[in-house]
Amino acid sequence: MEAELQPQEERSPAPVVGLSLCDSAPLLWRLQDLKAVRSEGLVGALLGSLPRTPRQNVRLGRPLLLLPEEERLLGERGGAAALPAQNQEAAAGELQQRYTEEQQRSFEEQSVLALEDRESALVRAMTSSSGSDPASDEALQHRLLDLEQNFSFPRSALAVQLSTARAGLSHCPEARAFLEADWPIRAQRCPRREARFQVFRDLRGRGFFLTSAGKFGGDFLVYPGDPLRFHAHFIAICLALDESVCLLDVLCAARLGSNVKKTVLLCSPAPDGPVRYTSLQWSGMV
Amino acid sequence: MADQNKPESADNFFNEILSPCELFAARSRSHKIPARGQKDFYPDDSEEQKQRLQQRLDEHWSLISEERVERLGNLVKAVWSPSERIVELQTPAGKFWQTMGFSAEGKQFLLPEEALYLMECGNLQVFHQDLPLSIQDGYEAFLSSDSVSLQQYQVFGHLKRLGYVVHRFDPSSEPSPYARQLNLPRSRDRGGRQLKRKRSPSPAPTSSKTAAASQAEEMEEEDKLPESHLVASAAPQTSSSGAAGEVQARTWWPAEVPERQAGQRSAPGSQRWDFSSICFPDLGSAGRLAPLDASLLPGGVTPGVCDVAPWMRRINLRKVKMSPKEEERERRQRRRDVNKDKEVQRCRNWAEYHKLLERRQAKRQGRPAHLWSGEVQPLHDPTRPISTAELLEKISVIKSTDLLEGAARLKGSEEWRICFNVYQPDSVADFKKSNPGKPYARMCVCSFDGPVPDLRVIKQLSFQSGDVPVVYAAVDHGDISFYTFKDFQLPRDIYP
Repeated sequence: MEAELQPQEERSPAPVVGLSLCDSAPLLWRLQDLKAVRSEGLVGALLGSLPRTPRQNVRLGRPLLLLPEEERLLGERGGAAALPAQNQEAAAGELQQRYTEEQQRSFEEQSVLALEDRESALVRAMTSSSGSDPASDEALQHRLLDLEQNFSFPRSALAVQLSTARAGLSHCPEARAFLEADWPIRAQRCPRREARFQVFRDLRGRGFFLTSAGKFGGDFLVYPGDPLRFHAHFIAICLALDESVCLLDVLCAARLGSNVKKTVLLCSPAPDGPVRYTSLQWSGMV
Repeated sequence: MADQNKPESADNFFNEILSPCELFAARSRSHKIPARGQKDFYPDDSEEQKQRLQQRLDEHWSLISEERVERLGNLVKAVWSPSERIVELQTPAGKFWQTMGFSAEGKQFLLPEEALYLMECGNLQVFHQDLPLSIQDGYEAFLSSDSVSLQQYQVFGHLKRLGYVVHRFDPSSEPSPYARQLNLPRSRDRGGRQLKRKRSPSPAPTSSKTAAASQAEEMEEEDKLPESHLVASAAPQTSSSGAAGEVQARTWWPAEVPERQAGQRSAPGSQRWDFSSICFPDLGSAGRLAPLDASLLPGGVTPGVCDVAPWMRRINLRKVKMSPKEEERERRQRRRDVNKDKEVQRCRNWAEYHKLLERRQAKRQGRPAHLWSGEVQPLHDPTRPISTAELLEKISVIKSTDLLEGAARLKGSEEWRICFNVYQPDSVADFKKSNPGKPYARMCVCSFDGPVPDLRVIKQLSFQSGDVPVVYAAVDHGDISFYTFKDFQLPRDIYP
């Protein structure tokens, strides 16, 4: 069947997403970019430790790694741009000065906040223990004054941010402008990659969500909706239309698919035509 | 900067910097991860489903958007040095120092992957040109295909998050295959006793292995033991020709079959002893034996002249009283005495005698001579006693091979190498970087897009790894699967 509905591609210009290469892998760092690609139905894979609880592998955090197919889809649509590289030595001295100034300001603001915090805690403690009578009120005022005079916010208690994405206008002053879609299409033109991309684009165009399926011995796991809410229904295996397949491989794939309650799809893009899908199923005859 | 946070979208471009207020508020943040509930089977466009998806997405984004906020006092400060690709600590290290980092020239250093992991855990703040690096800066500066690749770091991080101690694998710090073969204690290991305990479960050395080892030791000439061992093994053979004078002629010619077997067993010796040139000692001349050929003896032994006369005097020459039955048996034996045998007497040396024995046995057992005269011979002589296991071994045309067989000769490849030594989490408490002990496994990182390691690679890497299993971590984008290739011997039932 020809893919007729391709809602994602026809939509009004999606925001340009900032990509950066790390060891030639396309990574997304900024939250807005992550949200943008997800809204386009691209899932990717999170690689980093989750800031909240870093020492576990169940939920991971930024960066988000894109599949080569996802990268190419974005690039072809003109939806991707390279994130500006780190500002070079140019104004290093100035940047350092701004950094120390900012940190000093943050320290001052935080010490005010810390004092307020302590004061409100004190007020809460004093008022809850005894009702409101003038004597205790006076005592409270006294204690508050005392606190204000003696309070010191230690430098070590300063909360600092360990930025995830390269952040801060000061780091890249020239990057204030919006990104321009300049992402080169890096995909290697080998038949297998090409077949994968055709299948990916077709399935995504039909509204499916795709992730890599190495753990299931296939090319893609195909989800009917966002993987956060739905299980994958299919394991897509991409094959050229004229490629001969070993029967044992087919059996392996089908057997594994049925064991994980998924249907194996053999996907073959026809030259200049629709992608042909063949599903494998146990016949149930004993 | 913080106050510019909200207004226009253009300034919103890099908006992930927290204001002091947000920073302060972050100290009382929850550390729980929301549980993931049951998924739906199929999207039905219902409002309810949409709501649930939205809720899940909101949870997801709030988790993902969270920035690391740490108290300055809890952060270890470090500096990135790009030229050496290393991170130098500026303030005292934290608990992580027990399993990570190294000291050199009085300074403390972290490898880039360790530093990046600690940055991600919120333990370390790395500066470059007096500015703190973001996690993104860390990924982009620390990881590259010619030092630690992204995939290697993914595996490193995955294992670290699980609690394993992960160190870079350094082939030069491993004992060489040669040293391993000799079971030499490692010089830098001070805990010799511990090492011994570790090494003991290694597979029991087979006879061929010890032979090779002793040969190797001989080559090294650093131990006195192997030499004495060699002498000991050669001794029985020399005595049988050297001290022969003392014994009766009879013992020179034991019954046929045992002699044959003895000849068989000393097969390795035949490489050194050319029987065709060793002549029978002439015991009849009783008095003196010609000195032994020095070339037959181990080095350092000088053959002296052997005077048999005193020994001959001590021989009991009294006549043995025998019953007629015994006499009869004696007579019969005498008749069979090899020394009286005409054909044996015609033999001039051992080689001829051996040939004669072979000929005779072949004749007696009815072994078709033509089968054995050609170049192609039967795999086994049915007249030779042999155990079933040995026979099976002998007639198996395709020999089963060991994973490590011939691996020593293989050269390492550029593409495949062991990346990490992995130590189990429960060892962390008493882990010593200086003496980490035997790793639980070694990691080789490979990609789902790349080739599967071939037998050559598997052999070479497992040889390099010694008795520690090599685990192949296959990285498929975000997923990592771990595979091990194990040596397997087909079980064989033998009924002797």
